[in-house]
Amino acid sequence: MFNILKKKDLKFNVKLEPSNKEIVLKSGENLLTTALAQGIKWPHKCRVGSCGTCKCKVLEGKVKAEIDFANVLSPEQIQQGFVLACKSSPKTDLKILINLI
Amino acid sequence: MKKLFVNTRYLIVPAMSVVTILGLLSGGDYVWTGVILFGLCVVIDTATKNIHLRADFDENGNSYGIKFFQYGVMYLMLVVFIALQLALAWKIYQYVNATLFDVVNVYGLTIQNGITTTNLIGAVISAGLWAGIGIIYGHELSHNKKEGFFMSRLIMSLSGASHFTYAHVYQHHLDLAHEDDPATAPRGRNVYMHTWLSHAGQGKFSFELEKSRLKRQGKSFLSLDNRWILGYLYSLPSVILFVWAGGLFVGLAALLTLWLIANFELEALNYMGHYGLIREKGKPVEYRHSWDNDSVFTDWFFIAIGRQADHHVRGETYFWELDDVKGPNYGIGYFSLFLITLIPPLFRSYMKKHLDNWDSKYATEEERNIAKQYNY
Repeated sequence: MFNILKKKDLKFNVKLEPSNKEIVLKSGENLLTTALAQGIKWPHKCRVGSCGTCKCKVLEGKVKAEIDFANVLSPEQIQQGFVLACKSSPKTDLKILINLI
Repeated sequence: MKKLFVNTRYLIVPAMSVVTILGLLSGGDYVWTGVILFGLCVVIDTATKNIHLRADFDENGNSYGIKFFQYGVMYLMLVVFIALQLALAWKIYQYVNATLFDVVNVYGLTIQNGITTTNLIGAVISAGLWAGIGIIYGHELSHNKKEGFFMSRLIMSLSGASHFTYAHVYQHHLDLAHEDDPATAPRGRNVYMHTWLSHAGQGKFSFELEKSRLKRQGKSFLSLDNRWILGYLYSLPSVILFVWAGGLFVGLAALLTLWLIANFELEALNYMGHYGLIREKGKPVEYRHSWDNDSVFTDWFFIAIGRQADHHVRGETYFWELDDVKGPNYGIGYFSLFLITLIPPLFRSYMKKHLDNWDSKYATEEERNIAKQYNY
């Protein structure tokens, strides 16, 4: 129970390549929402995991998927580490490949 | 105190659903409780149509909503909706077995055994009206984590509409306000036609989505991995329950009527949410592509599902954080508007001024040009 409370305070650093920008997320925070709130021009459209516009590649670290990506991403893309930022939150520090607008 | 208020104000549906179940269990004329409550909602919604509140945040901009509590309620509503079907099935069982009319007292609740044909009709309508309200939880959960998504599928399957969960997220949010979206009603279409077209269109989309996913993964369409088939299998327990309770004639007819009412409510919500709005294919979804219904009773009753403009632009946002974003707004609540949609000529006439206003104040030049194609 106390671990759950502590987990809320965890913060993760997310490095974006190739822009070299960096954002900080709290545990459970949505990757796209937080990036947009911190002024990052992340490509996006539907924000519900259906269009694939916010797709990015996780180079290092792990994310928590909030939906099944298989309806939008191919098995190969999922295996290569692609995720949908609008339906992901960090589990660790991350390095992400994303071409910003 | 504020936190308590913000979190409990969304409990209108759970409370009224439980009262509807108690009405069904009590029997006699009490089986009409659900219908009367629905009528009461129309009155309250109409009387409070001019009260519009914003979402509540503290001085640091944090929401008062307690996610654990709100999710707990939404998950528990699956149990409530199952109980609703069980209560109705029990009355159907009494009807087909001609249970003798008598009154018993169970834990302080007076129960009238036996049921007349008129009251059976009332019981089915009561249950159907409140089963249909399940859409508000099915909708909210469809946008959330894997377990929430699964709960959404189960809640929707109780109304024979588990296809909704996939179609809503993967089609409606993408194709909104465009002719490719079956859930968006073009100008001139009435709610009755929309119910059939939207239901069939969303079912077809779910079928195609699953076909394509399974093909990509090299799996057979005819398998238990097929979520389109699984969705309909989730509805099987309801079919078995009602056929067992009332046979193929009464039992199945009652369940189909319940599903018809529930799906009509679901599609009426889709209908009211985007009727006549236009977006060019490929252009971003903006606030102007949804109608807002955010009068106070609608907002609390429908767990803010009427804040469509904000929801469609920030689809990842929890319902208690959705706000007024100054999108096109009917200015009245869903219950009042629902009554108007039931009379298509009245609805068309009512919408004329709203659509003219949308065309002149919200639409882009391209959207205005598309609008000219419609004679509404």
